[in-house]
Amino acid sequence: MIRFMVGVALLLTMVASAPAQESYLEVTASGSSQSSLAVATPLRLEGKENPEVAREVAEVLAFDMTLSGLFQVAAKDPERGGIRPGEFSYAPWKVGGAKLLVKSGYSITGDRLTLELRLYDLLLEKQVTAKRLAGSIKDVRRLAHAFSDEILRTLTGQSGPFTGKIAFVSKRTGNKEIYLMDYDGHNPQQLTKNRSINLNPDFFPNGREIVYTTYKNRNPDLYRRELYTGAEAKVSTQRGLNVTASVAPGGEKIALAMSKEGHSQIYIINPQGKQLARLTNSSALEVSPAWSPDGKQIAFVSDRLGKPQIFVVNSDGSELRRLTTSGAYNVEPRWSPRGKVIAYCRQMGGGFQIFLINTDGSGNVQITSEGSNEHPRWSPDGRFITFSSKRGGKESVYVMRADGSGQTKVSQNGGSDTHPVWSPR
Amino acid sequence: MRASITTMTMALCCTMMFASGCAKKELVREDTPPTEVAVVTPTPVPPPAPIPPAPVPPETPKEAHVVKETPPVIEEIATLTEDETASKLFQTIYFEFDSYTLSEPARDSLAKNAVAIKKNKGLKIQIQGNCDERGSDAYNLALGEKRAKAAYDYLLSLGAPSTQILVLSYGKERPVDPGHNDAAWAKNRRDDFVVLK
Repeated sequence: MIRFMVGVALLLTMVASAPAQESYLEVTASGSSQSSLAVATPLRLEGKENPEVAREVAEVLAFDMTLSGLFQVAAKDPERGGIRPGEFSYAPWKVGGAKLLVKSGYSITGDRLTLELRLYDLLLEKQVTAKRLAGSIKDVRRLAHAFSDEILRTLTGQSGPFTGKIAFVSKRTGNKEIYLMDYDGHNPQQLTKNRSINLNPDFFPNGREIVYTTYKNRNPDLYRRELYTGAEAKVSTQRGLNVTASVAPGGEKIALAMSKEGHSQIYIINPQGKQLARLTNSSALEVSPAWSPDGKQIAFVSDRLGKPQIFVVNSDGSELRRLTTSGAYNVEPRWSPRGKVIAYCRQMGGGFQIFLINTDGSGNVQITSEGSNEHPRWSPDGRFITFSSKRGGKESVYVMRADGSGQTKVSQNGGSDTHPVWSPR
Repeated sequence: MRASITTMTMALCCTMMFASGCAKKELVREDTPPTEVAVVTPTPVPPPAPIPPAPVPPETPKEAHVVKETPPVIEEIATLTEDETASKLFQTIYFEFDSYTLSEPARDSLAKNAVAIKKNKGLKIQIQGNCDERGSDAYNLALGEKRAKAAYDYLLSLGAPSTQILVLSYGKERPVDPGHNDAAWAKNRRDDFVVLK
């Protein structure tokens, strides 16, 4: 039931007709320059009527497109034609000011579902892209997310991250266990069930394995785990801390904090646990390494100046420098996949807030302010950040655009959900 | 007779029961892999054809088409094997905010703990460093470790044998007082001395 994932073929084939088409929208636009996009009610094409499938397709498309910040989403049908070019009239859609239109239909045979989705440019009155996606009925949301990814790819040149999963830590059973859910909070699955304390999940680049720290053998040890089989292997079980592991972009190295030599320092190991390098050599406490997307640098937290601050060092240990120069207590750095910006957390007023800073130390900016916000992690395209937030009640997983707009709660059980990580593509 | 609870049997309760035979099994589910079947190109003047011009590309599943069935993995269940009675021989020590310096009262308690360790040679003690909830969880793991290590070093300086003492950090994961105020935080910044069974 839970742990198998349908390997959706994200063979997002290039649309044959969109060669050298200029991008419709700036990839980085968020919230400011919105086009109006209409989502037509999904129609039954063949087979049984299934209003639930229609509802989920429309809901997924509207949620994803709204989060993208590129569109104002309208869902109101001014006409009831078909979904293919020539089967409906453009004019009624333009009346409300919509510039783009998503038409979709479904066909159900047994438990098989085929979705046909088409994006139209209402000004040019032409189809922009179309997909037919097939799977089991229970994959309906994933199939719809795949078309959301495709819409962004077609309009901006860069695919969306909406088929991604979020791994996170939840205390909903009473113990901190690792969970996995769709990025929008649907289909949560409990991965670990060892009833100890489990922390700091991070994905391997293949998206099908994670590393995490567990106390199940009475020491904070690092394990790797296949998500869909549950098969596990020990990675690092050195006496003391084996925590805050971060898998390198290529997947062949892991940076982590270990205390085997007395106090917490940053090391680089391979996925089998063999030490490749000791990255820091200080008398300070050092945790939370984060790789740059090219794997050449590592940001981390050190209290070598008294309080925790963020430093950056080359991954060969050279050119150590301090990154954050304001704020008394700065932690949890995470490098944007686009390379130039690091998200981190600053202790403020009894809680934490998320900041962005350029890797040269300029452009420090606060992007959250409501409640206490921690554990920022980027979506693989760098458009979004997932984080945990406590806004009254228990902590939950949220997503937002990288400028802090569009903050949306996605984890649904309210069981103190923290440490979200967005899966790679 | 508490002292005779000589338990070198650490953590053996956690029987690892990987159903290893199954763990490697990869089943191909023939019914589910969603495949993208068609890319439909824009047709400026489309015929009202019931089927779109959908050239069906050969299904060349790149990688993710193998769906792995969940094998019956039996997880290790963490069991806490603390000898709670024997643990009462030892005093908890407390710390200032964001500090691992041993205070005067902490040193007094550690002196008593050192005596108790030396008197009970059969006991295995785990010093568990803990923090209040205010710092980041990652940094607190390192800070809790440092608190436990500070006590460990002081006990050794008083002649307690290193072979009897282990160090563990729980960071801010195990508060004794769930409150969000100074009194609760003061109770949570501590080293527990736990006798392992």
